[in-house]
Amino acid sequence: MGSLIRKKRKFIVISLVVPVLLLIGFVVLPAIDLFRMSFTNWDGYSSSSKFIGIDNYIAMFHNKDLWLSLKNNTIYFVMHLAMIPIELGFAVLLVSKLKAAKFYKTMVFLPRIINGVAIAYAFSYFFSPINGAFDEILNILNLEMLSRSWLSDPKIVNYVLAFVSIWRFSGYHIILFMAALQSLPQDIQEAARVDGANALQMFKYIQVPAIMLMVDFILFDNIRGSLQIFDVPFVITGGGPGYASSTFTLFTIKTAFTYSNFGLAATMAVAIMIIVIVVYLVQDKLIHKVIMKGGKKQ
Amino acid sequence: MKKSTWIQILKQIICIGMVFLVVIPILLTLFAAFKTKADMVKISPLALPPFDRITFENFEKVLKDKYLIIGFKNTGIILIVSVFFNVMFGTITAFIIERFEFKFKKMIVALFFIGMLVPTFVTEIARFKIVNGLGLYNTLGAPIIIYVASDLMQLYIYRQFISTIPVSLDESALLDGCGYFGLFGRIILPLLTPATATVVIMKCITIINDMYIPYLYMPKNSLRTLTTFLMNYANSQQGSWQKLSAGIIIVMLPTVVIYIFFQQYILAGVAAGAVKE
Repeated sequence: MGSLIRKKRKFIVISLVVPVLLLIGFVVLPAIDLFRMSFTNWDGYSSSSKFIGIDNYIAMFHNKDLWLSLKNNTIYFVMHLAMIPIELGFAVLLVSKLKAAKFYKTMVFLPRIINGVAIAYAFSYFFSPINGAFDEILNILNLEMLSRSWLSDPKIVNYVLAFVSIWRFSGYHIILFMAALQSLPQDIQEAARVDGANALQMFKYIQVPAIMLMVDFILFDNIRGSLQIFDVPFVITGGGPGYASSTFTLFTIKTAFTYSNFGLAATMAVAIMIIVIVVYLVQDKLIHKVIMKGGKKQ
Repeated sequence: MKKSTWIQILKQIICIGMVFLVVIPILLTLFAAFKTKADMVKISPLALPPFDRITFENFEKVLKDKYLIIGFKNTGIILIVSVFFNVMFGTITAFIIERFEFKFKKMIVALFFIGMLVPTFVTEIARFKIVNGLGLYNTLGAPIIIYVASDLMQLYIYRQFISTIPVSLDESALLDGCGYFGLFGRIILPLLTPATATVVIMKCITIINDMYIPYLYMPKNSLRTLTTFLMNYANSQQGSWQKLSAGIIIVMLPTVVIYIFFQQYILAGVAAGAVKE
């Protein structure tokens, strides 16, 4: 028996050593290093850097461009939030009796598959000020007075970019809602019906909890996603004009790799990390537990 | 007509409207790719040029660009190596975590969990130094090692799948004298094939579409990927939407083709990733 245990231990050690080392070296250590760097003034190439205490944290809270970027993030968040009922509606529609439902399901998820950079350029063309398709559509509808510089007017550029984000990710949410709706086991529904549950009770105690779990997931996915939105504004506007369409992540990346202020950028990265973790804890410990309890009452 | 028929028609109208929203930006890009420079101005962006004026020049120009071939090649190499290691490490890690109790298990599981919480993009600020220090800057090794080490979504899919394989199978294999490596390699790994199909396809799409890692770590021309090729192409074709449009369509194609053929695996993987609780 002793040799079997030894063999088992050998198997575990040999198999896990590389993946665990990779994880530590390329994920855990960088994450810890961000904390260390956030207290320094490192510029990204010098061999030495100075410990400057919490100066970066003070500078971060006083940085107007960063707050503007964060405000832009909330535009993405609110617009995605407003889409949740529509996405849920679409999911209900697509799981109901519907001709060509499979084709529609394929189409709805398509944007999530397409190269983000390609999408960014396609929409740059769509909204372009010269011979742009969107202005042409407005012309046809006799709405040319609504025509704007969609991608360079600071007042609307974020809404246009958030629209592109919705175009990309709503289908993903619809597919998730569909999975939640279809995951309700038939036998549980059947058993509840046999036990005399009426339609209202079924909806309240069986369907709603299942959907709520997914609403909860998508809600927090929205928070994390809108906080980390990066590639579409990076390619379409580069955060401009000025910082008008910058986002928290875009601003952080620019602070490091364009302005060589790695210390300050690390501080912002720490802020993002803390927000993501807090959001996770709130979701897991609070909301999740409440929903699960509600579901088990029956 | 019956009320239910009306409802069906209404549903179809809503769905067709959705299809339009999805397709229009892509379709208009395709239209532009078929136009000559003159027709970009003369013909509405919402219309194709007349049949005899459709041009393939724009596509020819992209397809003849030597960096497109280089991009395909680099993306292919990165893809094959990273996905191979993702599957290898993913299956064995998930198997051990699901099946065995051992010292430090809790710590290791916690580490992988933290790995999934660490935000993307901004971590590069600290990771850059490590990758640089290893001499991997401006090599294909940079994206490969980052994809292998940090994209951990396969663990969820594999753990879920392994938990459905009966433990009695492990026990009888071990009793038959098949060692632990044999048990994993000859029995568990083949059983995981459906999960592996999902993992491989989803990884392919993520990696082909990734912009930031190749952009940051491989500025060298000969190391362009499909995505960074498009970014460079866009910079060199500024203002010529018809030429850029052909590039957009070509770069879109690989993942769309993968999607069309393997969508059931993708949709299964998407749902599995979210319903992990």
